[in-house]
Amino acid sequence: MTAPVREKEAQAALAAPGTPRAAVLALALFEARRLLRRLPVLLALVGYTTWLVWHNVQPWDEFPVLQDADRATQGGPLFVALAALLCANQAVLRSRRRDTERHFEVLALSRGQRTAAHALSVVPLALLVAVGVVAQFTWEAVKPGAIGHGSPAELLVGPLTVLLFGALGVLLARLVPSAVAAPLLVVVFFLMFVGAAFPFAGETGTAWLAPVVGTASKYPFPSGLLGRPAAWHALYLAGLALTAVLLSGSRGRRVQAAVAAALAVTVLGGAAQTRDVPEATAAARQRASLTPEKEQTCLRRGTSEYCAFPEWAPRTADWERVVRGVQSLAGGPAQGQRLLVRQRLEARYGLDVDSALPPATTPGQVTVGTAWGGNRVPEFSTAVAAVLVAGDEKAAAGVCDGRMVTVMWLSLAWQDDPEAQLRHVRLDDSLSGEAIVLSPTDPLTMTAGQTEVVRALLERPLPSVVGRVKAHWAELTSPKITTARAAELLGVHAKVGPDRCEA
Amino acid sequence: MTTTVSASGLTLRFGGTRALDDVSLRLGRGVTGLLGPNGAGKTTLLRVLATAVPADRGAFTVLGHDPATARGRQELRRNLGYLPQTPGFHPDFTPFEFVDYVAILKELTDRAARHREVRRVLAETDLDDVRGRRIKKLSGGMRQRVALAAALVGDPGFLVLDEPTVGLDPEQRMRFREVIARAGEDRTVLLSTHQTEDVAMLCNRVLVMAGGRIRFAGTPAELTARAAGRVWSSSGRDPGAKAGWRTGTGAFRNVGDPPPGADLLEPTLEDGYLLTLDGELAEVTA
Repeated sequence: MTAPVREKEAQAALAAPGTPRAAVLALALFEARRLLRRLPVLLALVGYTTWLVWHNVQPWDEFPVLQDADRATQGGPLFVALAALLCANQAVLRSRRRDTERHFEVLALSRGQRTAAHALSVVPLALLVAVGVVAQFTWEAVKPGAIGHGSPAELLVGPLTVLLFGALGVLLARLVPSAVAAPLLVVVFFLMFVGAAFPFAGETGTAWLAPVVGTASKYPFPSGLLGRPAAWHALYLAGLALTAVLLSGSRGRRVQAAVAAALAVTVLGGAAQTRDVPEATAAARQRASLTPEKEQTCLRRGTSEYCAFPEWAPRTADWERVVRGVQSLAGGPAQGQRLLVRQRLEARYGLDVDSALPPATTPGQVTVGTAWGGNRVPEFSTAVAAVLVAGDEKAAAGVCDGRMVTVMWLSLAWQDDPEAQLRHVRLDDSLSGEAIVLSPTDPLTMTAGQTEVVRALLERPLPSVVGRVKAHWAELTSPKITTARAAELLGVHAKVGPDRCEA
Repeated sequence: MTTTVSASGLTLRFGGTRALDDVSLRLGRGVTGLLGPNGAGKTTLLRVLATAVPADRGAFTVLGHDPATARGRQELRRNLGYLPQTPGFHPDFTPFEFVDYVAILKELTDRAARHREVRRVLAETDLDDVRGRRIKKLSGGMRQRVALAAALVGDPGFLVLDEPTVGLDPEQRMRFREVIARAGEDRTVLLSTHQTEDVAMLCNRVLVMAGGRIRFAGTPAELTARAAGRVWSSSGRDPGAKAGWRTGTGAFRNVGDPPPGADLLEPTLEDGYLLTLDGELAEVTA
């Protein structure tokens, strides 16, 4: 054996034992480094990163609403959480499986302290997920089209879920010291998450007992109307994780008292979050749905007025761009008509209920929803064009004659890629035949003939069509005009069948 | 001898078996060998002294720490290096990681100092070259040295080694002895073994256990002296011998009460050990 370095006194002085707390932290760091190098965790992190990238490069997601973007951070960490459960469990069972417990049980750090270290070892992984969550949310928040306010409590859910599942892995190892228990539990959770078989769903009640309650609102709500008990849920998750950690450890009196406190926090958070939507929120939703004008601020831009819920005020510039584009192609009084663009929302039935907005009957009023970007732009453009042609949304929904050609051409022609927008605004994404055309309120309908005429117009140079539209504006917007006549006025030779009104 | 470990009346039953039967002992600095046949209670005694199992009765202190109190037990554990019989390993760890892990469990929290200490014990146990290799890829002897390094890390005042040389080849055993001898220079080492040569070459004191009791406590020379005048050679197995076996020369070596005029031989420590076990052994024959 080689001669040892005989500096034991000096070495021993340098390597003098620290406090038990420092030892727990040192062990937690040691275990954390191993945890972060485990294959399931690495795979989960790769999956999470892929999910983040995929989630944030969607071309249609340029106008995020931050009170929705915050809870969109919660799904991806679930896979990291499952890996944390599995690997933390295996780390705790390692000593038992490898028969080192006989040795370790006589060392200074007690089993309870080692358990605490295992639970703490998940913290760096949770912090890594927190970095991902913050990056994801920041990515959304810095987009020029971002509006609204995120909730720190919603952002905490992802990292807390990782902590909770890691703690569950530790607890499971202490309760069921079997190597198969955690993989089985992971499979069960995986099926619940991926297979959409999670027994909890909905906006209130037991749904909130699940770690992630990603209530998918069909349309963004103002943050004041969300009614999500995010802070209580974060408290519930934190309490649950702490309870699991404490139950895994020793059984001393102080620990028992801490378990009681953690359970109290869990119950408090759990009970508070499962209450119904607060009355004040329900009343606010009612007001926002029925009398939005009392909740909104209005801005005059150009000739028109734009009324939006306060968080959407910056978006009025985007709406104005559409209105300006449509009106620039219109003729007669429509090109200078004063419109009232009113943001509307049906919030009375909750976040996850898809409720249609009825068309407005006020002349010159155009409805715009709370979502923006992607298909919402040509839909709004169609609504603007329809109101300019038909007078109001109710009347526009009933257009079944040749005016539909003018509506759709006005709606599309000013846009960069009109044909693509035509496809987007039609329910079946078609470019020929009859189709339903979407708008923020009731849909419109295009016949096959109208589609053909509109496509023919879109293929022509814009100035040549604009001249004809402006010249024949009065007739083109008359309820008596047929599609055949509109085609004739606009110089399109196409075989068009009878209009729906005629049939 | 300055007493560092003292025990009195240690008794422990497993079911109907009395694994430890009123064991009392005193140890000082240096290496103390613990000899005894299988089932003598050696491992149980080591586990009690290492605080792995509590005794039913009796008391002991190590370096002044009484494990009957939580604080005393904790202090004892802080000063303990324990190498269990057939130690377990984490096969995916490297020797460095495993010893580092044990060092943390011994509350060595300063990372830089701890890593220096880990490197020191790995050097002392001649594991420098393989410290980054996975334990599952190491030979049995190397693994045993990893376990010894884990016991030595943190410079514990009391080393408990349970049959550390089992399964080692002669060269490895020699290396082990060197490390243990060095460790015993300034701490208390209790070494359980079946190998009387280990005791003869390493220990300044020896305990012989049988049936859960201490049958002898003294120096190796004193144990050897027990056989003075009680070892003789004969052409056949002597019926009066407590133990006898054929040697390489074809003659029989006997221990016990020699007949008058017997051809007496120089006793060894093993002879003294066998005589100490009188009544506990089946007749030793070969």
